[in-house]
Amino acid sequence: MKAIKGVLLTCDSAVKQILLALNEKGSFIIEDLDDYHVVIKADEEWRVRRELEAELEKNTYSLE
Amino acid sequence: MRRRRKGIYSRVKDKTMPGLQTSEPGPSTESTSHALLGFLQSQSQNTLTRLYQRPSSCLSVFRLLGPLERQLVMNLLWMDSAIPASMMSAWITREGRKPYEGSLSILSKLHILPNPTAKLALNLTFKTSLRHAITGGGTSGSFGVPADRDSKHPSPSIEALDTYALERWETILHYMVSSGSGRYPNRPSQGVLLLLQRSGLMTSVQGSALQITSSGFQFLLHPPHAQLWELLLQYLHMAEERQMDLVEVLSFLFMLSTMELGRDYSVEHLSQTQTAMLEDLRDYGIIWQRRASSRRFSPTRLATTLTSSAPPLPTAGGAASNTQGQGFIVLETNYRIYAYTDNPLQIAVLNLFITMKSRFPNLVVGAITRESVKKALANGITADQIISYLTTHAHPQMRKNKPLLPVTVQDQVRLWELEKNRVKSQEGYLYTAFASQADYEYVLNYAKQLDVVLWESAAKRCFFGSIEGHANIRGFIERRTAGNV
Repeated sequence: MKAIKGVLLTCDSAVKQILLALNEKGSFIIEDLDDYHVVIKADEEWRVRRELEAELEKNTYSLE
Repeated sequence: MRRRRKGIYSRVKDKTMPGLQTSEPGPSTESTSHALLGFLQSQSQNTLTRLYQRPSSCLSVFRLLGPLERQLVMNLLWMDSAIPASMMSAWITREGRKPYEGSLSILSKLHILPNPTAKLALNLTFKTSLRHAITGGGTSGSFGVPADRDSKHPSPSIEALDTYALERWETILHYMVSSGSGRYPNRPSQGVLLLLQRSGLMTSVQGSALQITSSGFQFLLHPPHAQLWELLLQYLHMAEERQMDLVEVLSFLFMLSTMELGRDYSVEHLSQTQTAMLEDLRDYGIIWQRRASSRRFSPTRLATTLTSSAPPLPTAGGAASNTQGQGFIVLETNYRIYAYTDNPLQIAVLNLFITMKSRFPNLVVGAITRESVKKALANGITADQIISYLTTHAHPQMRKNKPLLPVTVQDQVRLWELEKNRVKSQEGYLYTAFASQADYEYVLNYAKQLDVVLWESAAKRCFFGSIEGHANIRGFIERRTAGNV
């Protein structure tokens, strides 16, 4: 058996799809568990969060 | 819409409206037990007995107690001999049993009522001192020693003291609010800053300037009386570290709380610790002194209301405070906010989570936007805190609405918070590639007993455990492998 260090991300399925798309550009996913869970490399967490944030931001519209 | 707004405007100007005063409950009626009582209960019997030697302390503690406890103390105060507990409990109705027992336990924890299961009698020291406090007499000077009239420097007027206390107190709050915005108004003294930091209300991230925390924002939502005690409790905790005598500190606070507003007191009878405290208390606006070396001091309203239910800050009069204690915010379904205030502190608080649009002499117009709420969330302010701030400070006119705040706005603020938390991350280890199903179940069971399993899948034969459990699980597997060989 093996133990792999990582970070478990719990998210909704939309975010999960964005994560998969981001993974195409720079691989960080260790294991794709199910629709709501994915394990990623621990030291990539903040980069992934930043990129995810930027991606989600594209989908919001502001009146300002 | 426009006409309604105008109506509200004219109502705020009319301060004599009777309905405005009753909307908010008094500061100490809402909490059943005073924050300080918890602190006192954690003190040793020795400390408390020394404290109870001072009549002013006993009177103050008495004032902090709940109505039922006060009633019990009053009943026992003039008794010369103890009453059997069975006799007292014969008077208690069945419904009253629970509150009665609660009160007894509070009094016994405060060592006012030692050993309430057998005989009821007040702590002798407490009894003597409280009798002193009520009947007068004694020359202990525990209620402070008034200074002689000074013809050269007349004592400050009550208005001057109120203005001073308010200015000091708002400096502290204002500093907390404007942290992180880059603009610093008046900085409170170093002592106050340390206190704010130690109480977790503000924090400095990697040596940068102090920033308000989530609990700091929660603090701003409390009424002034509770805020004051929150800071003083922290002060008491720090007093222990600074090797100050806790009894001296506490009794000085209690002494201040029984003093008369607008009167000068002499510093000559204060102990060394208490003289050192003068500087700190000046910073908080609790006392006023002409100069740091002055031989006299005057307590402000913040001091004299410490143990009473009267409002600690003047509510009527004074341009800066006319909206304190009553609502001033109108929130519309289109996320617009109209805040009828000219108080820089309140405007600064609003600025934490709304986008300002325009500002008039007595009105600020802004809107709750996604950006402004996101900024607030990033600062550790929660959606619930924003909503409860708006609820507490809603304009009396808003109180006719049911629900008070527009549901659309409430929901949206909560949704924005959820949006920020779309991804939850937990560090740990993924355990996979088990040799057999039995192996997998065996290890999984062990991990479940430790309560560290965050995710599992029997089909994939793997599970994810939190980082805390890893050392244990690894040890478990190693022992097992060693045992098999």
